[in-house]
Amino acid sequence: MIDQLRSIWQRREVLFYLVKYELKAENKNKVLGFLWSFLDPLLLLVTYIVLVVFIFQRSEPQFPILLFSALLSWRWFISSLSGSVNSVTSKVGLVRTVRFPLAILPLTKIIGGFFDLMFGFVILLPMLFIFEANFSVNMLWLPVLLLIQLIGTIGASLICAVLGTYLSDLTNIIQFVLRLWFYMSPVMYSVQSRIPERYQTIYWFVNPFAGLLESYKNILVRGLPPSEYVAVAAVMAVVVFVVGFWYFARDEHKLVKAI
Amino acid sequence: MEIIKVTDLGIRFKMVKRKRARTRDFLMDRLNSLRNSSSSDFWALKHVSLSVIKGDTVGVIGRNGSGKSTLLRVIAGVYPPDEGKVSVEGEVSTLFGLGAGFQPELSGLDNIYLNGVLMGLPKKEIDGILDKIIEFAELGEFIDMPVRTYSSGMHSRLGFAIAMNVTKDIVLIDELMGAGDESFRKKCDQELSRIIGERTIVMVSHSMPTIQRFANKVIWLDKGQIVAQGDPKEVIQQYLTALRINAGSIQRVMTDTR
Repeated sequence: MIDQLRSIWQRREVLFYLVKYELKAENKNKVLGFLWSFLDPLLLLVTYIVLVVFIFQRSEPQFPILLFSALLSWRWFISSLSGSVNSVTSKVGLVRTVRFPLAILPLTKIIGGFFDLMFGFVILLPMLFIFEANFSVNMLWLPVLLLIQLIGTIGASLICAVLGTYLSDLTNIIQFVLRLWFYMSPVMYSVQSRIPERYQTIYWFVNPFAGLLESYKNILVRGLPPSEYVAVAAVMAVVVFVVGFWYFARDEHKLVKAI
Repeated sequence: MEIIKVTDLGIRFKMVKRKRARTRDFLMDRLNSLRNSSSSDFWALKHVSLSVIKGDTVGVIGRNGSGKSTLLRVIAGVYPPDEGKVSVEGEVSTLFGLGAGFQPELSGLDNIYLNGVLMGLPKKEIDGILDKIIEFAELGEFIDMPVRTYSSGMHSRLGFAIAMNVTKDIVLIDELMGAGDESFRKKCDQELSRIIGERTIVMVSHSMPTIQRFANKVIWLDKGQIVAQGDPKEVIQQYLTALRINAGSIQRVMTDTR
């Protein structure tokens, strides 16, 4: 794994250009171009606010920012995973022409998504003032939470990139899994309010996003420290990271031929 | 000095009959690997041994599907050998067919940088050769247009310009003059003559005149195995004779050898 990380680091310029061009290509040919990086998360938020506030008639005063702080990081996760599934097959021209660490391809999606996340935070910040979030030093936990999520996402994306190359059906499967996972995770609700109490413990331990998303809400909106169950996410993230690198290293040389 | 050494190389592909069947194959594969069966293997290259000395220009000939491109990809490091050993001492730049490695949505300029860094060139060095590439490719203002808008001639010129200017020890060329008019062909010839002997070149081509002009060694592949290698004149002669017998028609030879 160390060798792999080193070889990726050596070819970081490739990663840099792929990310740059990915971001560039995404907004090309659009009238509003770059603005979409801000509009996308904003419109997504509007959708959910309409759904929850007007249709389900549930709302707390801080609901929009609670929702948004969880939604943003979730969006980073799903764009990374669904992007990774065909990250290798979609770059067949490059993959068959030059040798480079293929792990760079899913990483491109994760870093691209991270930029979207940053744009999202730019929208979130004024909203935190508008909806009167409880500002506190606990906000400094943000980089730690992002790091945990990054580590886990890298592992999961590497696995998706390998499986997605063998199995084109994964594109469809992953959409379903992610949607189900989304509803099972505390994005539109909080664990305390919606999960029956006797299932809560098991819920915290089964779904790493439970602790992670509640922690984002705690530090950004509620002025609380991260949920202690973020430790579950941290442990799982490290495990998935190691497994992901191991699996990718094992199958990397087969991928080129499988395309 | 041996710059490329290939010993008893074998490259195996799993036979996939239809693209749509990939999922089923994937599952069947898992089952088969439990039962240790490998009946669906296809060897694209088998028992291939060759060595290339620094400064050589090697021509690879053979009919379609004989494993020529696969061999180049192995030397480029894209396919790791399933059998045997491959050692390549030096850095490689590649020119694989029409626009392979180009990202259609990106501009020509972006593609130059992307291909440059992919071939291991730092950004600063790309800055240095940028003008030469653009000039050679004769793209003019098209350099800022997405590559998908390029004609096939423009594709060829850009690919060729990149491969020639990204100075590497080894240049791999698959079907050099895919598209391009007479004047471009001449330019390619000139450029190639310039680097011959200076760099090591392995080129795949169906054009016997091209091979005969540039190569000092020829390898004839058929069904993934080397039939003959050595002196260009002799090997090409053998190849053409075999083609005539096999195809049974001069016509085929004419189109195949152009």
